Amino acid sequence: MNPIIHIVDDDYSFRTAVGRLLSASGYGIALYGSGEEFLAGIREIASESCALLDLDMPGLNGLALQEQLMQQAPLLPVVFLSGHADVKAGVQAMKAGADDFLEKPFESCVLLEAIGRSLQRAVARREEFERNHAARTRLASLTRREVEVLQLLVRGILNKQIAHILGTSERTIKAYRHNLIGKMGARNIAEAVSIAERYGIIAASEEHS
Amino acid sequence: MGVLRNSVCLRQWFTRVGGLCLLLFVTDVPAAAGEASTENRSPRVLVLYPYDERIAATTVAGEAIRARLLDATGGKIDLFSEFLDLARFPEGDYIERMAQFLATKYSGRSPDVVIALGEQSAKFVVTHRATLGGDAKIIVAGFNKSTALKLNLPPDVIGAFTEFNIIKTAALARRLHPSARHLFVLGGSSEFDHWWLETAKADLAEFSKNYDTTYLEDLTIEEFVAKAAAFPPDSIALALTIFKDRSGRNFIPRDAIKQISGTASAPIFGPYSTYIDYGSVGGNVVTFEALGETVADLTLDALDGKPITHVQAPHFDVVDARQLKRWGLSEQNLPSGTFQMYRQPTFLEQYWLTALVVSTVITLQSVFIIILLFERRRRRTAEVESRHRLLEVIHLNQSATAGALSASIAHELNQPLGAIRSNAEAASIVLRSACPDLKLIEQILTDIQDDDQRAHDIISRMRDLLKKRAEIEWQEFDLSELTATAIKILKGEAVRRGIEVSSKRAGEALPVRADKIHVQQVILNIAINAMDAMTKAGKERKLTLETRLTKDAKAELSISDSGEGIPDGKFGTIFEPFYTTKAAGTGLGLSIARTIVETYGGRILASNGGDGGAVFRVILPLARGGTR
Repeated sequence: MNPIIHIVDDDYSFRTAVGRLLSASGYGIALYGSGEEFLAGIREIASESCALLDLDMPGLNGLALQEQLMQQAPLLPVVFLSGHADVKAGVQAMKAGADDFLEKPFESCVLLEAIGRSLQRAVARREEFERNHAARTRLASLTRREVEVLQLLVRGILNKQIAHILGTSERTIKAYRHNLIGKMGARNIAEAVSIAERYGIIAASEEHS
Repeated sequence: MGVLRNSVCLRQWFTRVGGLCLLLFVTDVPAAAGEASTENRSPRVLVLYPYDERIAATTVAGEAIRARLLDATGGKIDLFSEFLDLARFPEGDYIERMAQFLATKYSGRSPDVVIALGEQSAKFVVTHRATLGGDAKIIVAGFNKSTALKLNLPPDVIGAFTEFNIIKTAALARRLHPSARHLFVLGGSSEFDHWWLETAKADLAEFSKNYDTTYLEDLTIEEFVAKAAAFPPDSIALALTIFKDRSGRNFIPRDAIKQISGTASAPIFGPYSTYIDYGSVGGNVVTFEALGETVADLTLDALDGKPITHVQAPHFDVVDARQLKRWGLSEQNLPSGTFQMYRQPTFLEQYWLTALVVSTVITLQSVFIIILLFERRRRRTAEVESRHRLLEVIHLNQSATAGALSASIAHELNQPLGAIRSNAEAASIVLRSACPDLKLIEQILTDIQDDDQRAHDIISRMRDLLKKRAEIEWQEFDLSELTATAIKILKGEAVRRGIEVSSKRAGEALPVRADKIHVQQVILNIAINAMDAMTKAGKERKLTLETRLTKDAKAELSISDSGEGIPDGKFGTIFEPFYTTKAAGTGLGLSIARTIVETYGGRILASNGGDGGAVFRVILPLARGGTR
């Protein structure tokens, strides 16, 4: 299925024209006259899609809309279209995670390139997101005891000492350790520690203690 | 010497001296016994008039004598007058009795000088000198030397004689009528007339050579009239005396002259002042006054004991201005010192004072009018200048507005341009496909046209925004429609600033007469000012433009914002030039807005609205014709 490009522009003529261009270029398109209209249908957005936002719109303007999108559809790539080269707005948009910032009028190849690039990046971002999501899910599946063991392991404490700290046998610790490596999808303890570090399990658990 | 002689004398008086006969007799009346010498009393002068006091000729001369004597002596002189009336009473015994009477009358006051006016008086005083007294100096006047010779005057009788020289009169005529080629000389049939004509012939011998000369004599009065009526136009006629015509009729010469000149076809000149007013153009004559003055001067010399001799009364050129006019003779040809009688004073001569005052007033008035016109011109120039300045300022303001809106206008322009580009590229992609969707292509082309039109509209609005006016361009337009146009210009900028623009339009048309571009500038200035006022974050930004018809039938546009409003105490100053609260503002926007509105007879009011924002109201008079 072709990626869907969401065009949000208050100018009917402009969004229609861009829609025709993208449609002819093989994209699926969805046109919106305002940010509000777009947000209303955000739930149904297909995974492979991209948003072209006009910067200056009455009501919800481009930047405000982007802010909303970051919360509701963080993985949706955003390309800004602006009638004037406003450096300040451009910088702000890019900082907020926009993929590109194009000045109207633009050549079709520039637009198509920007869309293609942002879609590619979106794929990578989605994969990473999914990876992270899986890791987080695994971390969440650890029992309280397993988390405690993991926290101590991350600090480089030996099994024997952990057993002593937790008031249990080294053997039991070994069993926890084996379990949590398995639950986290790690191949060894080093990988498990690395995952734990990346997703902040340590900090979170330190607050617990 | 009888009646006839006297009557001839009378005629001669009138004709030769011009009616003025001055006879001056200084008769030495023997001083009465015991009479003191002249040393101790005022000198006495007796004037003898030949006629009664009603004959102007002698009385005018007599008055001239009196006036001169009184003036010269400062009034210290005794003047006596006696009217002998000899013409009407020529009888010898009357004259005798008169002589006796006068001798008796003046025996106690014997005159020092006796002046005899006229030939008869002269004869009387010479004849009766002994009776009247022997000591008085006698001065005679009013006739010519040849008459004096005939009278056989004693050597101590001194005369002021009047001589008639026809040559001088002829010269005057020539001078006045330089183109004349014919000369006519008229003379009567009496003895004197003959004598006179012969004298004139001799005198004119030289003068008449230049003319085709005809002497008209021995004609009846009718023949004279007929001849005169047939004079060629380039003629001058000299009239001597006509006491009698060929048929023996007697005339007073001036009456004959009057008859002849009435139908004459050329100007007639005569050597007598009496002819004046009887058809004569004029001549070289002796006037009564001049003769009188000459006699008076002789008398004064005699009283002073100076030796005196015969004198000639002065002659003057005298003309009748009416006759000059009749014959078309130019005043400019007159010798200097010529007396013009019956001259209608010219307007200026008659009313010179009035004319002077009137012309002065008119001149002053004209000067004032010119000054005022000049002032008006200067004022108009200044007004034009100031209007041009205003137009310049407005244009600068337009440019500034265009500059401020340029970013949003560029953005707005990029919408249709971007759309056109995308549409065109989409079309080319579609066309490259296996089976192109022609319906789509057609739709795309239509849209391209629409977008092109949109771009064009934006550019024309921009051009209007920058349009420079050399003069105010009066147009009638609907204020609501103009407001809608202004909103289109502002919309992009408002969107950029996150300001929501709303408008409410009057139900009826609001025709206003002004320069559209200027009123649009007013709207833009106020609206941009309002947008500038809404910079505070977080607050709702709303700009509302509303047109309506006021109760007193005026067009009103109110522009309200949701800013902070106008601070108290600043209502008076916000329209002042250079008043600004913005770092980048010039402080001219509202000031120019007010100037423009007032130029078109409107008002602009500022207040704060209910929700705290400022409200500006522009009120303009409706164009004639009012609402539809």
